[in-house]
Amino acid sequence: MSYSRRQFGHGLCALTALALMRTAIGGDAPASWSKDFVQPGYKPMDSDEKGLWAIMEHAESEMKTSRFLVRDSEVNSYIHGIICRLSEQYCSDERSYVLRTPYFNASMAPNGMMQVWTGLLLRCRDEAQLAAILGHETGHYLRRHTLERWRDVRSKSSFSAFLGLGLAAAGVGYLGTAADLALVASIFAFSRDQEREADDIGLRLMANAGYAPSAAPEVWDQLLAEFKGSTAARDTSVLFATHPLPEERLATLKQRADELGGNSGERGKDAFRTKLASIRPMLVADELALRQYGRSEIIFDGLLVDASDDGLLWYAKGEIYRLRNGNGDADRALSAYARALRSGNAPAEVHRSIMLVELRVGAQERAKEAYEAYAKLRPDASDLEMLQALLPSTPGP
Amino acid sequence: MIIRILLLLSLTILAGCGGYSLVKPEQQDVDGALSVQPGMEWNKVSTVNVEGKIQIWTLDGPVLNRPIFFEGVGDGEALFKPRSGPFGSAKQDEAPPVFRSNMNPFEVQELIQATVARNFQTTIVECRNLKSAQFVGGPGFRFDTKFTARDEVERKGVFVGTVRGGKLYGLWFFGAGSHYFDRYLPEFNRLIGSAKIAETAASAK
Repeated sequence: MSYSRRQFGHGLCALTALALMRTAIGGDAPASWSKDFVQPGYKPMDSDEKGLWAIMEHAESEMKTSRFLVRDSEVNSYIHGIICRLSEQYCSDERSYVLRTPYFNASMAPNGMMQVWTGLLLRCRDEAQLAAILGHETGHYLRRHTLERWRDVRSKSSFSAFLGLGLAAAGVGYLGTAADLALVASIFAFSRDQEREADDIGLRLMANAGYAPSAAPEVWDQLLAEFKGSTAARDTSVLFATHPLPEERLATLKQRADELGGNSGERGKDAFRTKLASIRPMLVADELALRQYGRSEIIFDGLLVDASDDGLLWYAKGEIYRLRNGNGDADRALSAYARALRSGNAPAEVHRSIMLVELRVGAQERAKEAYEAYAKLRPDASDLEMLQALLPSTPGP
Repeated sequence: MIIRILLLLSLTILAGCGGYSLVKPEQQDVDGALSVQPGMEWNKVSTVNVEGKIQIWTLDGPVLNRPIFFEGVGDGEALFKPRSGPFGSAKQDEAPPVFRSNMNPFEVQELIQATVARNFQTTIVECRNLKSAQFVGGPGFRFDTKFTARDEVERKGVFVGTVRGGKLYGLWFFGAGSHYFDRYLPEFNRLIGSAKIAETAASAK
């Protein structure tokens, strides 16, 4: 059975058609995909749920003061705006927090607190891809998956075991306590069936909001490529440990995305790049700081496919090779830095990096030229004195 | 409760502590690599969970403040890393950043930054004000550090070091907030001023 995109446009008629189609596909989906959603403005009903919300509210209040929270108002407004576009009725029920953590993840707590990790923002290539993840997380909220999971696990063990499940999966994560606590009762605790359901809801929300549904399988495709090609596989395996098998998930997502319109819809590439411009250097630096060169190379190569004129990404590529410092890496770094400079929008630090590589290969004149270019662009940089001292036969300041 | 237990466990791992021994204010040999003259009593920390050519001291506990001595880290060696074992985190199984004997001070600063980010599992690390400085009787370098670990506490610090014979010698002192850092900075500067490369280490260069 095939459906044209028009059938899956905006509005109630489309929702009805989607529900019919989902029923036709079978599986464990409800007859109407949104009939079991929480109501807008939902508050916890019984003591179980009230207790869970109380824990999350405590975690949320701590998260608000976390030093790992990205407080850039434009970035936060942009991300929350996407959530509102995906689920307008629930706009005031969901609150997003961007956490400076260089891994791919987002999570949703039962009280509507959503975490978005900066590693996710780095990897998304456009707004539609980010919307795919945010829609998925919204799906968890709309179906009260955390509560369902909590009751399921608690009936078999204890609350502390439930908490332990989350922490074990997170590898005692990368964040502060508040964030850890929120994670525990969110993404790592969901069952694979719940993840599949959230995938489905996310796709429908995307299509209804006018985003290209094909962005959803793309994100997973990219992550899978990173996972398979990376030496840092364990980082992503944390995610795959509790999510459906990537290949299976990818196939299902592709099929459903095609049914919902495929690549027809908005991608929001320019908006994505513009709205996150203020934090992109930080996203790149945090990835590079992990010194997982193979993985970073896959990420930046992937991003460059759609942004070959991005000086920051070429600079990042050069940094991988400079920091790895293996055979042939000096040439690779200089080549990438040259591309960064040609783009016309490279960060000033590219000159400092060129200087360091030229010094390494003994090209002192070129190193000096690069130093001068850096000093001109960053006259107040605190490292100028030491950098100048690295240049042979240069008189001191 | 389990969160608190795991956080404390995590801090203990980061502290790398497995016991303490008293360091008296007299000439001290640091694992045959360096020697220093402390001006007050310190505690040497037994580093059961951290490996590397380092020695850790503390006054108020390693979570609050500690100097770390780098005792001639060689080419291809990590500055320090968690010892493999039951407390090893999954992410630490990946190859750590390593020292290269041809690194200049700027690159050593980058290495410290990456090592801190990795071992303290944080993105909030800042190294700045890299300057020339005297260390172990010769030219070296010095820079300020600042990082926030998983406990959300900001730690200020100073690293002073030099590369001799292709090996990195250094001293890094950091403390929680201003109190545990500023209070002991004069003593740290005294340690820096008194530091020498031990004769045995110098002859092995």
